[in-house]
Amino acid sequence: MSTHTTQSAHDEAQTTDILRLEDVTKQFGNVTAVDNLSFSVSEREILGFIGPNGAGKSTTFDCVSGTMAPTDGEIYYRGENVTGVPQHALVEKGIARTYQTFRPLNDRTVLENIALSQMPNSLFSFADFRADTEQRAREICEQVGLGDVVDQTPDELPHAGMLRLEIGRALGTDPDLLLVDEPFAGLTSDEIDRTADLFTSLREGGMTLVVIDHNMHGLLDLVDRVIVISFGEKIAEGTPAEIRDDPTVQEAYLGGEI
Amino acid sequence: MTQVDLEPRYVVGIVCFIGLISAPFLLPILTLRQLTAALFLGMFAMSWDYVSGYTGQLSFGHSMFFGIGGYTAAVLNLELGLTPVLAILVGTIAAGIAGLAVGFPALRLEGPYLALITLIAPLVLVQIVNIFPGTLGGDAGLPSPAGLVSVDEPIGILSTIGFETVFVHETIVYYYLALALFLAIYALFYVFTRSYVGSIFTAIHEDEDAVRSVGINAAKFKVFAFTMSGTVGGLAGAAFVHTAGEPNPGEILSIVVSIEVVLVSILGGMGTITGPAAAGIVYYFVRDALQTSSLTIPVLDATVGHISMALFFAIALLVLFFLPKGALPWVTEWSRDILERRSQRSESPS
Repeated sequence: MSTHTTQSAHDEAQTTDILRLEDVTKQFGNVTAVDNLSFSVSEREILGFIGPNGAGKSTTFDCVSGTMAPTDGEIYYRGENVTGVPQHALVEKGIARTYQTFRPLNDRTVLENIALSQMPNSLFSFADFRADTEQRAREICEQVGLGDVVDQTPDELPHAGMLRLEIGRALGTDPDLLLVDEPFAGLTSDEIDRTADLFTSLREGGMTLVVIDHNMHGLLDLVDRVIVISFGEKIAEGTPAEIRDDPTVQEAYLGGEI
Repeated sequence: MTQVDLEPRYVVGIVCFIGLISAPFLLPILTLRQLTAALFLGMFAMSWDYVSGYTGQLSFGHSMFFGIGGYTAAVLNLELGLTPVLAILVGTIAAGIAGLAVGFPALRLEGPYLALITLIAPLVLVQIVNIFPGTLGGDAGLPSPAGLVSVDEPIGILSTIGFETVFVHETIVYYYLALALFLAIYALFYVFTRSYVGSIFTAIHEDEDAVRSVGINAAKFKVFAFTMSGTVGGLAGAAFVHTAGEPNPGEILSIVVSIEVVLVSILGGMGTITGPAAAGIVYYFVRDALQTSSLTIPVLDATVGHISMALFFAIALLVLFFLPKGALPWVTEWSRDILERRSQRSESPS
């Protein structure tokens, strides 16, 4: 059992791990989407989280971000057990996520979409009298490259713009841990580079990122470490180079491109 | 040019406000009584719009809140002799609790399921009213409880400015009470919906996942919207039975009331507060004009009054078909177009 290391090593890991999953299982009826999955993410790491379609990547994100509670197992954030804590509370603790299928608010402008992240989670507040919230929303738009289109509505944005909007809204919550669900799908290689640059700069600012992708394309130069899952189970873990040469991983992809 | 530039919508608002304030001096006394009742329909519609128009949690049974507020207040006054103010207060709280009680299951229900639940709830209440005709008046309703302000003798100041009889004085007092409540409720909803709370409500309507993903407890805001809507709806219902109306099912509880409130809000413009408020008043008078019209329709050989409801709902269908967003957003867009064209024309010669 590789999970049972010596106690001292375990304690050491706890201090540097920002996120730790222990035997997380998620079942939908008889279908097991995530099966006894354990892994941890270190502070200021960029972790690649890959697997074939339907491997349970997004479901794992759903469990970690509090969108749904796992059926079994525990999730620790900075040493605190956060299993089953609702999403809005986890956001306050510093975990933000983006969605693979974008969630824009089509009734308002890009700036107003981002501004949602600056709104207080309380029914009575004088937030409207704080002039800095709009300023902060503008800064985020600039940061993710939407500075020129703040007055457009999301349906006027190209695919890459929608991704930026999704990331911008998550950044607005000032996260320490950002879970990005399949950002590179449908992007040109140029756009992939720019998005990867954004992630790198976020990490330089102190953020930890977990990035989902279904293959290694966009991740190679970006990530420090990769975890591969298939049918809800972890099948490999290592540096990008190690993962590429791993026969188990190649088998999971059935000879397809990793 | 030292001309003050006032946006047209503020000009319209000020004109409407002055019109409402001076209505007792402009309208016949019976029309003023109708306007009082019309104001309450506007309040009912605003309370619906606050939860359904903004958060998208569709309620087809808002009469449950008006009914709970109105009946609670009336019974407390008639049976236990509570003062009207106290009775209205308790009725309002009871409706607020009902709003809370609907708000929680509403979290798990969406679209047609929520609509159906809210549709059935007031049906149960109507049955309860029929089961206890002694206390709750049954189909015919209860007698009017004591007036919010008792006008037993002529009021000096009203007599000096030319109004006679106690009946007229009472009508005027009730009108101003209703108007004050109407304006207060309008201001309250306006402030909330134009603040970040309204922005979160409409974001919930658009995409709840997006709201949760930025750390906002969407459930809390949804329950709050239902509770506040129920409270205000109950307040309006309770004040209604103590001023302009009577506690009977047709006025505040029946399914027709619920449907009319939805219709008024959609016709006026969902998610605007102002639209439903104004549409409530217009709706009341259009319906009344059709009902009382003695104009004969040639081919059918019937008066307009005879087929008024069929005509009325046909008109409503046409408006819904041609102005799906409602009247207020349409007027706003249309006037903006005209202003733009005018400013272009004034710019072009120079």
